[in-house]
Amino acid sequence: RYKLWCYFGIMASVMQKLITPLASGPAEPPRNKVTIVGVGQVGMACAVSILLRELADELALVDVVEDRLKGEMLDLQHGSLFLKTPKIVADKDYSVTANSRIVVVTAGVRQQEGESRLNLVQRNVNIFKHIIPQIVKYSPDCTLIVVSNPVDVLTYVTWKLSGLPKHRVIGSGTNLDSARFRYIMAEKLGIHSSSFNGYILGEHGDSSVPVWSGANVAGVSLQKLNPDIGTDKDSENWKEAHKMVVDSAYEVIKLKGYTNWAIGLSVADLTETLVKNLNRVHPVSTMVKGMYGIGEEVYLSLPCVLNSSGVGSVINMTLNNEEIAQLKKSADTLWGIQKDLKDL
Amino acid sequence: TSTENKHDPHIWRLEFASHFSSLHSSIGVLKSMHVFVQDLTDELALVDVIEDKLKGEAMDLQHGSLFLKTHKIVADKDYSVTANSKVVVVTAGARQQEGESRLNLVQRNVNIFKFIIPNIMKYSPNCILLVVSNPVDILTYVAWKLSGLPRNRVIGSGTNLDSARFRYLMGEKLGIHPSSCHGWVIGEHGDSSVPVWSGVNVAGVSLQGLNPDMGTDKDKEDWKSVHKMVVDSAYEVIKLKGYTSWAIGMSVADLCESILKNLRKCHPVSTLVKGMHGVNEEVFLSVPCILGNSGLTDVVHMTLKPEEEKQLVKSAETLWGVQKELTL
Repeated sequence: RYKLWCYFGIMASVMQKLITPLASGPAEPPRNKVTIVGVGQVGMACAVSILLRELADELALVDVVEDRLKGEMLDLQHGSLFLKTPKIVADKDYSVTANSRIVVVTAGVRQQEGESRLNLVQRNVNIFKHIIPQIVKYSPDCTLIVVSNPVDVLTYVTWKLSGLPKHRVIGSGTNLDSARFRYIMAEKLGIHSSSFNGYILGEHGDSSVPVWSGANVAGVSLQKLNPDIGTDKDSENWKEAHKMVVDSAYEVIKLKGYTNWAIGLSVADLTETLVKNLNRVHPVSTMVKGMYGIGEEVYLSLPCVLNSSGVGSVINMTLNNEEIAQLKKSADTLWGIQKDLKDL
Repeated sequence: TSTENKHDPHIWRLEFASHFSSLHSSIGVLKSMHVFVQDLTDELALVDVIEDKLKGEAMDLQHGSLFLKTHKIVADKDYSVTANSKVVVVTAGARQQEGESRLNLVQRNVNIFKFIIPNIMKYSPNCILLVVSNPVDILTYVAWKLSGLPRNRVIGSGTNLDSARFRYLMGEKLGIHPSSCHGWVIGEHGDSSVPVWSGVNVAGVSLQGLNPDMGTDKDKEDWKSVHKMVVDSAYEVIKLKGYTSWAIGMSVADLCESILKNLRKCHPVSTLVKGMHGVNEEVFLSVPCILGNSGLTDVVHMTLKPEEEKQLVKSAETLWGVQKELTL
C-alpha cells in the first residue's frame, strides 16, 4: 500500500509509514457493553465504579442535557490511559446504546416541595415512556437495572413499558439499604461489613424490612443470642441500626446535597454478577406477585440469584408473620399508586 | 535506595519460608502462594534450603515483573533477606513416610521449625506468623512456643481451606456462587474437622431449619457427604496431580489480604483455644477469628451443639497427646 502511494506521488502519512494493517473488516460488536441513562451524580458514580472494576468493554452515556453529557464523556475518555474500557461514547440519540448487555437507568425528576408521590411518579412515567422503548429498540436482549426513585414503582413501570420478561428487569431496590445495614452492624461489632450477613427486604425506603432472623456472623444467629433483637423491648436497641439505614439517605443529602458513591458501588456490584454470570445472591427489586400472599403485580426486594439472564431464581425467606404483613402492606401501597398511572 | 526502603515502616514485606526434604509438594504450594499475594505486598522474600530451586523460582517471578505490582522480589538461603517482614508464611516441612507414626513426623518437623522460627524472629521480631505446614494445628502450637510471640501473632491456616471447599461444594449443589453460600468447618484441620450444620445458610435462611436431618445419617439429601468430600478433597487431588497448590495458595492470599489491609474480616483459622468450648489443654484449633493488621484480635464464639463441642474436646486431647511428647 505504501508503494502504491509513492507511485502516485502522494506523501505517505505518519500512520501509513508507522503501521501496516493486516486484518480489515467490520469491527466486532462489544461483548459486555454497559449503558448508563442519566449523567447526574448517581449515573456518573455508577459509570466510574463500573469502569474501575473493568466490567465493560464499551460504555455508553445518554442524557438530554447535551453539554453536560459531552463534558462527562470527555472527562472519562481523558482517563483512558488508566482504564481497560477502550470505547466510551455518549449521545442524546439512543442509537449510541445499541447492543448493550446491561442498561442502568438513573434518569428521573426529583420530588418538588409539597408534591404528592403520585404526581412525582406520573412525571417520571412520562419520562420513562420516552426512555424505555428506545433502550429496548436498540438492545432487545439487555438486562435493565432501574435505580431512579421511587425505585419499586419505577421498576414496575419499566417492566410494563419495555415488554421484557420479568426476570430481565431488576430494581436496585434494597441492595444499598442492605449494604448500609451491614456497614452499620459491622461497625457496632468491630468487624468488616462483608463478615456481617443481614438482609433488608421489601420496599426501598422508610418501609423496608430488616430480617432479624437471618442476621448472623460466621453462621451465629444474633437473634438466637438476643431474642429481643429488632423489637422495642431490646435493651441493646439493635432496631436503631435499621432506623439509621432508613435515615442514611436523608442525612447524606442534608450534608452534601445528594448521595452517589455508595449507590454507584452497589450498582457496579450487581453489574459484576450479571456480566460475569456469577449466580450470587443480592437483595434486589423483582416481581413478587404470587409470593407471600401478594396478589398484585408489584416489585419488592427479595434475595435473588443473579446471573447473565438476569434474575435466575429467588431465595424463599422464612419470614415471620409481622415481616410478611409489612411486605403485603407495601404491596398494597405500591399498587394503590400503580393502578392510577396513565398510559402504561 | 533499597536499603533506605528496608527500614521504611510503611513497606509491607511478605516472606515464604520453605525447608523441604521433598521438593514436589512444597514448590507447588510455594509457587501458588506468591503468585496470589503479588498485589498485596511491595516486597516479597523467598527462603529455602534447596538453593537451585529457590533461585529458579525467584528468577521466574522476577521475569514477570512487568506484569506485577511488587517492586522487589528477593530470595536467599540466608534469613537476613527476610528482615522487616510484616507477615511470614511458613510452608516448610517434611512429608509423612510410608508407615511413619504421626508423632515421628511431627518430631521431624519440630526439628525443622527449631531452625526456621528463631531465624525468622531474629530478622522480623514484630512479624505475624502464618503457619501452613501440616499437621497445621500442632505446628502452629510449635511455632508459637518457639517464636515467643504473643498468641495474636501466630495464626494457623487451619480450616480456612476446608471451609472454602465446603462452600464450593455447597455452591455446586445449589447452583449458587460460593460467596453467597455460607458454611463453617472448624476444629482440627483434616479428617476430624467439624462442619457446623446449624450455621449453614443462604441469605440468612438456615438450611438445617429447612431440613432438620441435615448432617445426620437419616438425611435423604445426604449433606453429610459434602463434609466427607471436603475431608477427602486433598487426598483426591494428591492422587491425581501429586499435590495440592492452587486452592491453598488462594486461601492464604485471602488471609494475608485481611491482615495487610487491616480489614477485620472473619476467617476460620487455627488459634489457641484453651478455655473455649470445654477445651482445657494448650492446643490450637480453628474457630472463626477476626484478622487485621495486629493479627488475630478477636474470636467469634459459635453456639455449638454438645456433639460438636465433644468433637473439639476430643481433637484437643489427641493433639495434646502428641504435643506433650515433643522436645521443643
